[in-house]
Amino acid sequence: MKIELRLFGAFRDYDPSALVHLEVADDARVADVRAALDAHGRAQWPGFQPALLQRSALASEDAVLRDHETVPHDGRMAVLPPVSGG
Amino acid sequence: MTSCAIVDIVQAALDPVAAIDFVSDPGFGGIALFAGRVRDLNHGRVVTGVSYDMFDALALRGFEAIAADAHAAFGPRLKLFIAHARGRLSVGDFAVVIAAGTPHRDEAFRACRQVIEAVKHSSPIWKQEHYADGDSVWSEGCSLCEASAPQADIEHGPHRHSP
Repeated sequence: MKIELRLFGAFRDYDPSALVHLEVADDARVADVRAALDAHGRAQWPGFQPALLQRSALASEDAVLRDHETVPHDGRMAVLPPVSGG
Repeated sequence: MTSCAIVDIVQAALDPVAAIDFVSDPGFGGIALFAGRVRDLNHGRVVTGVSYDMFDALALRGFEAIAADAHAAFGPRLKLFIAHARGRLSVGDFAVVIAAGTPHRDEAFRACRQVIEAVKHSSPIWKQEHYADGDSVWSEGCSLCEASAPQADIEHGPHRHSP
């Protein structure tokens, strides 16, 4: 299935479009999307920091998703680096 | 009763007076307000502004969940105002405004503190500081992977915060 992943915070610096498209298996878990993004970053983004991704959460528009959870049916997700509001 | 908002700095500035008005009630003797502003110095570097990025839909859901937790803790009469700015702010601009209104001051102080800490620790909001030397840096923050609950421990958070 296709994943449309929105980028926020420091991830915006890697891709000005703030959007990444990934392909994962139809029965993929959130951990699989994380692995696909890690591979994408290592291949496409100069200066990519895997440690930042390790500390980042993945989410739908409704909730932060844990790695064991299934991917949203619509494939729309976001990567959330450590937050710093306020 | 709660007001949750994300306000783009291009559209309007956050208004602490509006926050006080919203949480006011003839039966309330206590109103606590937290107003976070952009300051001109951080870790020894001269700051000229801050840009706030956010995931609007999830942030608003988070604000509503934070408000629900506060109502569960302090009772249904509690009135809350939660607003965060988005976009490029200048030194002195209000970045976040939280207000809590209750019959007595103790609950107002505690509710306001609980809400601002939860907003800082759990909301999908990111701060990029701009410095006088032209450099810009995304601030380190709280990992949502490591949080076991929406509200991190108020007194013993996982890392150091600026006030």
